[in-house]
Order: sequence, then C-alpha cells, then structure tokens
Amino acid sequence: MTFDITDIAVIGIIYLVILFGIAFAAEKGIIPKKISRHPVTYILSLGVFASAWAFYGVIDLAFQFGYGALAYYLGTGALFLFAPVAIAPLAQLARRFQIGSLADLLVFRYHSQTAGALSTLCMLLAALPLLALQLQAVADTLQIMTLYNREEPLSVFSDWNSREFLAFSYCAVLAVFTILFGSSRDQHPGLIVAMAFESLLKLVALLAIGLLAIYGVFGSLGALDQWLLDYPEHIELLHTPIRDTASHTLLLVFLATAVAMPHIFHMSVVEGPLKQMTSTLSWAFPLFLLLLALPVFPILWAGFELGVPLPAQYFTLGIPLLSESPSLTVLAFLGGLSAATGAMVSFALALSTMLLNHWLLPVLNIRNPHNIYRQLLWLRRGLILAVFVISYGFYQVLESRLSLTQLALMGFIQTLQFLPGLLAVSYWPAANSRGFIGGLVLGSGVWLTGLLIPAFTGWETLALPWLNLELPLGIEHWNSITMVSLTANLAAFIGLSLLTKSSVEERYSAELCAEDELSHPLRMILDVHSAEEFIDRLRSSLGQTNAEREVKRALKELNLTVSERRPYALRRLRDKIEANLSGLMGTAMAGEILDKKIPYHLPEAKGTTDINLIENRLTQYRSHLRGLAAELNNLRLYHRNTLEELPMAACSLGDDSEILLWNHAMQELTGISSESVVGSLLEDIPDPWQQILARFSNISESHTHKQQLTVDGVPRWISLHKANIAGPVADSADGQVILLEDMTENQRLEQELVHSERLASIGRLAAGVAHEIGNPVTGIACLAQNLKYEADDPDACLETADQILSQTDRVSRIVHSLVSFSHTGKQDQADFMPVALREMAAEAVQLLSLQKEKTQVHYDNRIDASLVIKGDSQRLIQVFINLLSNARDASPDGGHISLEGEDLGDMLLISVTDEGTGIAEEHRERVLEPFFTSKEPGEGTGLGLAMVYSIVEDHGGHLEIESPAPGQVSGTQIRIKLPRQLESRGD
Amino acid sequence: MNNQRYLILLLLVAYIFSPTLFTWMINPEGAWYRPYLIWAMLVVAAFFYHSRKKHQ
Repeated sequence: MTFDITDIAVIGIIYLVILFGIAFAAEKGIIPKKISRHPVTYILSLGVFASAWAFYGVIDLAFQFGYGALAYYLGTGALFLFAPVAIAPLAQLARRFQIGSLADLLVFRYHSQTAGALSTLCMLLAALPLLALQLQAVADTLQIMTLYNREEPLSVFSDWNSREFLAFSYCAVLAVFTILFGSSRDQHPGLIVAMAFESLLKLVALLAIGLLAIYGVFGSLGALDQWLLDYPEHIELLHTPIRDTASHTLLLVFLATAVAMPHIFHMSVVEGPLKQMTSTLSWAFPLFLLLLALPVFPILWAGFELGVPLPAQYFTLGIPLLSESPSLTVLAFLGGLSAATGAMVSFALALSTMLLNHWLLPVLNIRNPHNIYRQLLWLRRGLILAVFVISYGFYQVLESRLSLTQLALMGFIQTLQFLPGLLAVSYWPAANSRGFIGGLVLGSGVWLTGLLIPAFTGWETLALPWLNLELPLGIEHWNSITMVSLTANLAAFIGLSLLTKSSVEERYSAELCAEDELSHPLRMILDVHSAEEFIDRLRSSLGQTNAEREVKRALKELNLTVSERRPYALRRLRDKIEANLSGLMGTAMAGEILDKKIPYHLPEAKGTTDINLIENRLTQYRSHLRGLAAELNNLRLYHRNTLEELPMAACSLGDDSEILLWNHAMQELTGISSESVVGSLLEDIPDPWQQILARFSNISESHTHKQQLTVDGVPRWISLHKANIAGPVADSADGQVILLEDMTENQRLEQELVHSERLASIGRLAAGVAHEIGNPVTGIACLAQNLKYEADDPDACLETADQILSQTDRVSRIVHSLVSFSHTGKQDQADFMPVALREMAAEAVQLLSLQKEKTQVHYDNRIDASLVIKGDSQRLIQVFINLLSNARDASPDGGHISLEGEDLGDMLLISVTDEGTGIAEEHRERVLEPFFTSKEPGEGTGLGLAMVYSIVEDHGGHLEIESPAPGQVSGTQIRIKLPRQLESRGD
Repeated sequence: MNNQRYLILLLLVAYIFSPTLFTWMINPEGAWYRPYLIWAMLVVAAFFYHSRKKHQ
C-alpha cells in the first residue's frame, strides 16, 4: 500500500489548517474559556514534551534498551510526581518575577549577563539536534508513505526533491503558524489549545496503533503472552540491557529533560495559566505519560512479528502500512506530524525569547523608544523565522546520518549540563555565576568534542598524548561522554562556587531564589519618593508613553494610585515594574534599566528588616507553614494582636522614620487608617500628627506631658512616651515605639476640679469678704447719717462724699477681686495674655488678708513689677492663693511670708518662703499628690498643691519645694520657674 | 520548609537504589506490563494524596 505524494500533502495541509483554525478559534474566544482554560487542556499542552521522537524513536530505544526505554517516561514522570518539590519552586519564582525563559531564570539567579548569553548558546546547540530530529522524522515518514514498496518514484518530483521540498514547506508553514499565534507578549490561549489538540491526536494515534498491534497482529493479550513464551529472546531483550549502566544514565538524562528543556519550561511556566495546577499536574501528567508508554512494547513486538522491513524507529508507521489499513496509516502519520509540530513550535518560541533577551537586546540599542512594543514584536518574529531557518540548515547539513534516538540523545545530553545550575537555583544559595559558567563551559565543551563535532567530521578518537590516552568519540560512546561531561561540569561548578566569592547582588538574588520564600527581609532604600518620579526616571530608557504605561500597569496590578509615596509601596512598585519589564525584554535588560534608573541602596544600618514585607509574606503563606514555623507564626500573631488591640495608641517607626505599626487605638485617636499609613515616612502623614510625632521622635526625652494640639478645630491634649526597639546587633536601635496617651478628658476633669476648688476657696473666703465688706458698709451708713446734719456745710458734705466714695471703692475692689478669682480660667494656651506677677501676688494677698479668723501674718511682696509672663491671670492668682494660704496656715501668728521674684533670662523664678513648721520628712514625697493633706479633716481638700503643680505645668514651668527653707532652721520655700513665652506657641 | 531538602535526598537515594527496584519490577516471571501496573499505582497514590491535601 502506498500513498500519492499529493494526497499526503493535502492531508498534511488539511491537518495544519485545522490546527490553525483551532488556534484562531481559541484566540478569538470562539472555543469557550471553559475548554481553553480547562486543566486537561493545559496538561495536554504540556504533551509537547513528547516530540516525534516519543512517537517513533522510542520504539528504537525499546529495541536497544528494553525496559530502559521507559526511563524516558519515568524520569519525566518522576519529576512531575514530585512537582511540588521539583517544579513548583521554579514556577513560583518565574511567575513572581515574570521570568520568561530558562536563560532569564539563570540570569536572575546568577546575576550575570554572560551566564545568560552562554546559556542561550548552549540551549540553541541542544535544540538543534532535536529540531533536526523532528524534520528528519517528518521527511522520513513522508518518504515511507509515498515510496514504500514502490520500485521507482512516480511523482512529479524526484524522490529527494519531493521529500525535501515537503519538509521545507512544512517548516515554512510552521514558522508562519508560530509567528501568528505565539509572538505577542501575552499568554497565548490559541497556542495552548492547538498544542493540546496535537497532544491528544498523537496520544489517540499511538494508542490506536498499540491496539492494532495487540488485537490486529497478535489477536489478543493472551496470544501476545503466548507469542512471548514462544520467542523468549524478546523477553530477554526486555531485561538484559537494563543491567547495563547505560539505562541508568538514560534515567538521569531524561530526568533532566523535563526541567532543563527550554520548551518544556516555556510551556509549563510561561504559558502555564493556573496557579493551583501543580497538584493536579503531579498525577495527571505521569498518567498521560503512562498512556503514551503503554503501546511501546506491543508495537515493537508486532513489528517483529510482521517483519516490517523498516528500522525499528518507524514501526509505528510500518505496522498499519503492512496491515493494509489506510485510515490507521494516515492517523499514525498525523500523530507523528503532530508530535513534530508541537515540539518545533514550542522550541521556536522558547529559543526566540532567549535569543532576543540575551543576544539581541543587550547589543541592540533600541533607538526609538516610542513604539518599543512593536519593535520587540518584530524582532521576535524575525528570530522565530531565524530559528526555523537554522534548524532546517542543521538538518540539511546532517544529511540524516544519525538515527532519531542518536539525535535525541545528543540534544538531551547537552540539556543535562543545565541540571546542576538549575538545581542550585532553588537549593544551593552558595552557588555562584563563576561556578555555573565554568561548569557549563566545561560540560558543553566535552559534549561538543565528544558528540556534536564528531557527528559532522566522523572523528572516532581523541588522542591525549601527554596522558597517553585515546578517548573514544562519537554518539556510540554517549554513555561515557555523558558521565565525563557531567562530572567535569559538577566538579567545576562546585569547586569554583566554593572557591570564589559572589557579589552582593548575586547573594541577594540567591536569597530571593532560595527555596525558603521568607528569607529576604532586607529593607532596601530607594531614592525615589513618589510613583510619578518613576515615570520621570524611566522616561529616558522607555520613552514617555511607555514609561507611563508600564508604571500605570504596575500600579494597577498592585492596587495603588499614582500619588503613592509610601516607601514600602514604592519598593513593591519597583519590583513589579522590573518583573513586568522582564516579561517584555528579559530579566537582564529589565534589571539593567532598573538598576541604572531606580537603583536600590543597601541600608546603612545592618539588619534593617522589611517588617511589612515579612508580615505580608507570612500572611500569604500562612497555610503553608508547618510545625515550628506555624507555631512561631501563631506566636507572632498573638503578639501582633496584643499590640493591635492595646487600648492605648501605639505606633512604631523604623530607623528611617518609616511607620511599621499603627494600632487600632491609634487609628481611633488620629482618624488615620492603618492601611493608608503603614509603610509611609513619618513626614508624609497629615498634620497635626506629623508635627507632634516627628518632633517627639527627634528629641532626647522619652516622655512629654500634655502636648496641646488642635484636631478639627477642637483642642486635644496628648502625652507621649517612647522607647527604642533594640536591634539585632548589640547596642543598635532598630527604631522606636511611641505611645500616645489622650489626656483631653483628664484635662477637662482637672479644669473642672480647679474650678470647684476655686469655688470652695471662695466659700472659705466668703466670711472674711462679708466681714470686710461689712466694715465699709457700716462706715458708709454712718457717713450717710452724718450727711443729714452737714446739709448746710458744703465743705463737710464734700468731704463726707469723698469718704463714702473711698469706702465704696474699697467695697468694689474687694468684690472685683472675688469676681476675677471665681472666673473659670482660660482653657487654651492660645488665649494667654501678658500678666504682671507682682499684681497677681497682690490680688492674692488682698483676698487672703480678708480672712480675719485665720492666723494673721505679714505678707512681704517683693516681686519686681517688671516681671511679666504670658499666662492665665485667674489661674496664676489661684497659684498664689494656694501657696500663700498654705504658708499662712503653717506660720505662727505674726509670722512673715516673703514673695520674691528673679529674672533668669528666658525663665522667671518666683519663690514663696514662710517661717512655719516646714514639711515633715515623711510627707515630703507626697505633698504634690492630689487629696493628700496634713491638715485636720474639714480644713483642707488636699488639692491645693496638686493644682498648683498642674497649673505650673500647663504654663510650661517647674515647681520645687525645699524644706526647711534655705538659710532657715524651719519653714518652707516653694520655687516656681515659669517661661516668659510658652515654647509650644512658637512665637 | 527545610524538610524538602530531605525529599531531594530521598530522590537521590531512590536513584541509587533504582537498579534493585528495577530488577524486582521486571522479574521475568511476571507479566511484561508489570512496570506499568506499578506506575499506575503510583499515579493513583499521587492522585489520592493530592485530593486529600486539597480537602484539608
């Protein structure tokens, strides 16, 4: 049975048109999202892993290595079984930092452009044999289908021409397909669905051929078993080669392919849309591989049974051909075509991204930053085309000298060279770029001399005269060459990594990549202060429009606004922009732009941790924490809640005045929500809180008492306390914790208390006042009576009137004193007026001397009339009344109380000295406490001195008590220092 | 989270002992598809492990 070349061409074209149609329909949303985003679609799309080699070549592998061929599936399957360990960390890393290719990942980890360029070169070298394999498989099968059993070619082309012409056309059509559906920067739903379709097709085809082999060729499973019993050499073939070390090496080689193959990375990480996929993936993909592997041996045996006159690698096509089943033959051909298509498209995409990011962009200076996206798109398209052209060229140069298995092994062994470097990304932070580059160069060098170059030149040995050795070369010795290259690679990688030092940036990246997600708490410093500044800085590299677009996109993704000023948020913004730009132009370029325009600075103080980031991460990963980590996290939550729910306003500041904590009470007190303020610099929070907190955090005192501030037009009194938070390094402070105590209510109560105390004093004074007023009133009455008799003597009348006036003057002075004393004091420091201290003292003396029933003493007011302060006159009179009455009560009859004033510059000193009994030793500590009194019950309230203290504090002054008074044996001296101006008024 | 290093170690040990495991698996006395059965069991085990984890 043969097919006409045109039929085959038509079938191939129809298949490719269907593939285009599916991709187009998915891209345009004609295929519902339920299907295009379904996990099964994604898992099937990962089936690009199984290229034409898995369709044809594996049969040959099974022939050579028996069960060892299963290593191809088992190695990859095992890797996916352990996906949460082996693949998830890389996938997470790639997603977080928008890493688009393996080379990007390596550049990100090893912080070296050279590593990127070199990796790209090695990936390209590894991909070329694999791409040539696909083309060779397609060309060979085309030839088999058209020329099989035919004596001479009948088609319009000669056999070589038709074969190569079709292979070339196939290559060209695929290039167009890839450019159309895979070159834009976003995810490609069309590509995913099309790849899923091709995987499904090849799976169905392979299973169908497997069933044909069992039921069509042998008849049944039982018959197959019987056949195996009849021909035990086939069972022997299964087992013997496996004892060879080669199958062991095979397993290692195939294990590497799943992580280190650029196209698998591209499909599983870059195109992978679903976050929770890893757990489904870890059983579903091995299942897919199991189904693919099932028909391998039956096909091999059926090929032997039928005596297919083809190499074992084409048994998959030979069996239906020999069974004279045209539909199954076409299905087998299409399955192989599918497998080749998927592999080539995904390879081309992955390679073009790497070539663009690591070869072109670093050397190309993008001249016109206005349409950078367009330029990148065209560059990528050009590169996709270039990859296809190069692979076709490579295929032509090789001239089908190698079998599919040999080509596959050659490619896989080169990708194996990436395994040490890739494993170290997540699991070995001490690895560095020198080690990686050294290892890769050495390993690839061995591969190049041992496998690739001999494939062209036919060299068979390499003589090492100084070692007196002859090393065998060529694909026949792949096993030993693999081991030598990997050993050299590992030795160089480990040795150089241990012997050389890595840079600060590389250590930072290593920490970022380290599998432990939570270990990069360093709070880096940015010298940018707003999101708008980002646009300004990036303008010169990206152009105004692109800079704006990228910053806005990142802001939107982070839910931030352009007015953002919080350093914490700006750091996140920088990271986001870097990640987004990496998705666009690769990690190396993005990193370079950001490092140049918006550099991070290492914090000056060691151990400046990014508390916000740690908290954020812990919250995000809470469900992943187990054991000790989970317990520590619970402890952290407990302490955090304690602070959050503390019924006292608390906030903590970092070393650079960044607000790290702002608890509930603080939110209530200030009316500023914690979300809007955490991560801000102190200078960016609204007034009056900014002023009061900034001033307090800078002064050396750790307490300030009753700071007055106006919030929404209402006066508030706040006491502040602070403490330094000890840093991890000895004798260093990692910031401050500040407590705010709302004293407004206290202040109001105090004022009420002062007022009632004043009223009480008035009550006590009332008797004296009444008596004092009584005397002049009696005098006035007498004088008025006298007037009756002096009516005819105008001189006497005038004199009496004068006397009456002087008596009423006396009365009104007494009444005035009482009234001015009983007024409520001024509430606000803003209303303080200049007052003369001498006058205040005189008023107090005046009122006190009215109390005739009390001890009579001499008041000696020696305060200078020039001593004037800004203050509240009523309350200052109260101070004098309380001090003088205490002094009087303690003094003996006829004692002296002296009042003195002194100018100390900014401060005024007033002292009240008596000759009384003094303050007993045991009372000295307590005299300022409210309600403490040494007087008899009913005599005093115990509030006098406490009130004096509070009024003096309100005026910004200090109070000192000395007993016995200086220079005396007994008596008490109370000294009050008052500032001329209140500091807080600032005028 | 550091436990995963032990898993890597486990993988290494599995790799070293895989020849013994292979010999046992491909015992000529058994059916030729014996390795597939063991593989299928692994897949089922992984499926149950992950579905249980999802429920938790």
